[in-house]
Amino acid sequence: MSPASRRVPSRRQALTVVALISSAGMLAACGGAQQGAAAADAPAGEPVTGGELVYLEYQPHTNLYPPQAGFYPNGGLVNNITDRLTYQNPETLEIEPWVATDWEVNDDATEYTFNLRDGVTFSDGTPLDAEAVAKNFDTYGLGDAELGLTVSEAINNYAGSEVVDEDTVTFRFDAPAPGFLQATSTINSGLVSPDTLDRSLEEFGAGSSTEIVGSGPFVVADEEIGTRIRLEAREDYDWAPPSLEHQGRAYLDAIEIVVTPEDSVRIGSLTSGQADYVRYVQAYDEEQVTAAGIDLYAPQTRGVNNGLALRPTNPLLSDVRVRQALLHGVDAQEVVDTVYTENYPVATSQLSSSALGYKDESEGIAHDPELSEQLLDEAGWVPGADGIREKDGERLSLDVYASNAQPLSKPNLELVSQQLARIGFELNVKTADTATITEASRDPLGSPLYHSMVGRADHDVIKSQFHSENRDVLVSEDKELDALLEAVASEPDPEKRDAASGAVQDYLTEQALYIPLFEEPQVYGAAPHVQGVGFESVGRPAFYDTWLNR
Amino acid sequence: MRYVVGRVGQAALVLLAAFTLSFVLLQALPGDALLIKFENPELGLSAAQIAEIRQAYGADVPLVQQYLDSLGGFLRGDLGYSVQYGTPVATLLADALPSTATLAVASFALAVVLAVGIAALSYLAPFAWLRGLLRSVPSLFAAVPVFWLAIVLVQVFSFRLGLVPVIAPSPVQALILPVLALAVPIAAPLAQVIVRSIDDVSLQPFVVVATAKGAGPRWLLVRTIARNAVLPSLTIAGVLLGELIGGAVVTETVFGRAGIGRITEQAVSQQDIPVLQGVVLLAATTFVVVNLVVDLLYPVLDPRTKQKVGLAA
Repeated sequence: MSPASRRVPSRRQALTVVALISSAGMLAACGGAQQGAAAADAPAGEPVTGGELVYLEYQPHTNLYPPQAGFYPNGGLVNNITDRLTYQNPETLEIEPWVATDWEVNDDATEYTFNLRDGVTFSDGTPLDAEAVAKNFDTYGLGDAELGLTVSEAINNYAGSEVVDEDTVTFRFDAPAPGFLQATSTINSGLVSPDTLDRSLEEFGAGSSTEIVGSGPFVVADEEIGTRIRLEAREDYDWAPPSLEHQGRAYLDAIEIVVTPEDSVRIGSLTSGQADYVRYVQAYDEEQVTAAGIDLYAPQTRGVNNGLALRPTNPLLSDVRVRQALLHGVDAQEVVDTVYTENYPVATSQLSSSALGYKDESEGIAHDPELSEQLLDEAGWVPGADGIREKDGERLSLDVYASNAQPLSKPNLELVSQQLARIGFELNVKTADTATITEASRDPLGSPLYHSMVGRADHDVIKSQFHSENRDVLVSEDKELDALLEAVASEPDPEKRDAASGAVQDYLTEQALYIPLFEEPQVYGAAPHVQGVGFESVGRPAFYDTWLNR
Repeated sequence: MRYVVGRVGQAALVLLAAFTLSFVLLQALPGDALLIKFENPELGLSAAQIAEIRQAYGADVPLVQQYLDSLGGFLRGDLGYSVQYGTPVATLLADALPSTATLAVASFALAVVLAVGIAALSYLAPFAWLRGLLRSVPSLFAAVPVFWLAIVLVQVFSFRLGLVPVIAPSPVQALILPVLALAVPIAAPLAQVIVRSIDDVSLQPFVVVATAKGAGPRWLLVRTIARNAVLPSLTIAGVLLGELIGGAVVTETVFGRAGIGRITEQAVSQQDIPVLQGVVLLAATTFVVVNLVVDLLYPVLDPRTKQKVGLAA
């Protein structure tokens, strides 16, 4: 269970040594670590109302405009201060009523009508009615260039809204939009007050969080830019998703969110009892955390797996045989065993096995270095003096940037690089600041491989990642792939949608465009007295049910 | 008086140069903060949408116009908006400055105490081997990385011994460990300079004379040597400001303190140009002011420098 040769990024070596010295006692006593998605023990007794939770975040939030809530610190806040039209059950992924009591969708999914719950108010007292909902989705679906408000990635083909009456609203689409219902449940569609939507993107930024008005169970009560944010429970909150057992106000009085960027300080604060709950427990810290009696939570992000996009517009990767050789040359199992833990399941497809539309591709992406060598031989790449293959005087050598957003990206890629060296492929792992990487990442010559993932519990997630008009991780000019992805985003029939998603995965496997590594979790640690820990469907914390058993 | 006016004028010129240079350098950086922000894959925007946003932000104004606009803004105290947060840069800096200033002043004060203590002891200690040992302490201090020291202090004093909380500390508690971590590397060069000055001064003829008249080392140190060792130490104190700013970046990040250092670190990684420009100007202003004060203090402390100070500065 404990990886024998854990790889640690070199810049952290000093601090790891310190951490090891100071926790030698704890490590020695390390027994069976408790891990997995549902690590919590059964709640101890009846929930208690009251108390403050100290939550350590890894990074400061940047903006509370819901379509920009994909960044985890943003999402962690938006999830708790806004409600959504619908509620996606994080276990079944079914869409259930929330602010909308029920809805109707026409046959080709171009028209959605929602009936709204009565008596829901924003925290400034304004009613959450059809007008407000229409204004929210008009903004998220169309954007507002003047205010700098961007279009939500979750909403496709949006045409406009119609307020039918006070509690009924209809949305229309230019083309089928079967993903819209799920989109109404995501934090990117968090409902904010009409006044809030008149703000510019800057005015959603850090420093103005207390003025962002939602209808959620918590409100932002106080903020110190970049370091601390305080959420307080709304006493009159009474519109939780009907399927939840818990109704009424949240149990916690307040959540004190403290930004603690240094890993060892975050973990040490948790194990020494100064904090109750932390996000982003690094894989190499998991043992130390569980050994101290802390519960680990590793909710899945259920989208496109953590992996490497291979960009076919790079001349060296234009030959499908080279890409296939890379795909089969990577041993994802070894990566997970060496760098990560069992909370990071090995990928069996480009999509997570808990994602909607998942299709098992494990055969087509299996580790097979012999096949890789054979493919490279066929493609005319012959081993040079140092073992790296050459062809017409050119080395089979490419660069990849370690991603600052992916956990342990550098040690991960370094191991992949070692694996690829065995088949005669040189992968140079480079590091840079986020800005440089973003800049370079659009260029298939500078970034022939690209390390990323994306979480969203809907079929559309695969389109978000690969379509040339969305994240476009392949820097794609592939019309065939785009057509396959558009089919996923516009197929109203659920079964046919599964099939369309499967077709995309088959295509990505055949064309060897993506090397899936593992199904990415968000790893949190919580002291044993923290009960009722919950997450929305892609792993953002939900504090509505959380209570303290001190 | 003419000297004062001249020095102030010089300071203003240095500031303008700092502004221009930072503007040119930051604009010349490969990359574009707006592009980086909106190309962030977490937003999933298409190229067409990004182009539309750029236009709305007026990102395609000529460079000279941008320079004049931002110079005008700077003179009015308007430093623009952070691309990453959307918050006015002036607000970000104003929020962070008191915290960093407190940290810097307290660390510097402790560093002076440490440095003077080490230097005095290394002169007064009873045994030659002990004096030698104390003289090597500054080198040891200089070799300790702030980052490592900060982590060790937190691990030992907060997590192991539970003496000082790092999460939700009182304002005083919040200062103890960061100040310690930052003071040590600042104390090192300061102590070295003081030790060196003491050595130099103690070889001067007047000290020899005083010793011959029967003055003890303690009397000598306090009455004659200390006064003469102040000037070089004061000069290095001005230079150490840079060290303080660098140390604050690390210290504030480890301890999760709000401050200029934290803001700088984040702005660099996101190429948040308006924030970086604001930080550069703030640092330049502080630097210029501290050096101005030091220069203006010289003639007060040492009448001999009155005539030649214009050149020496």
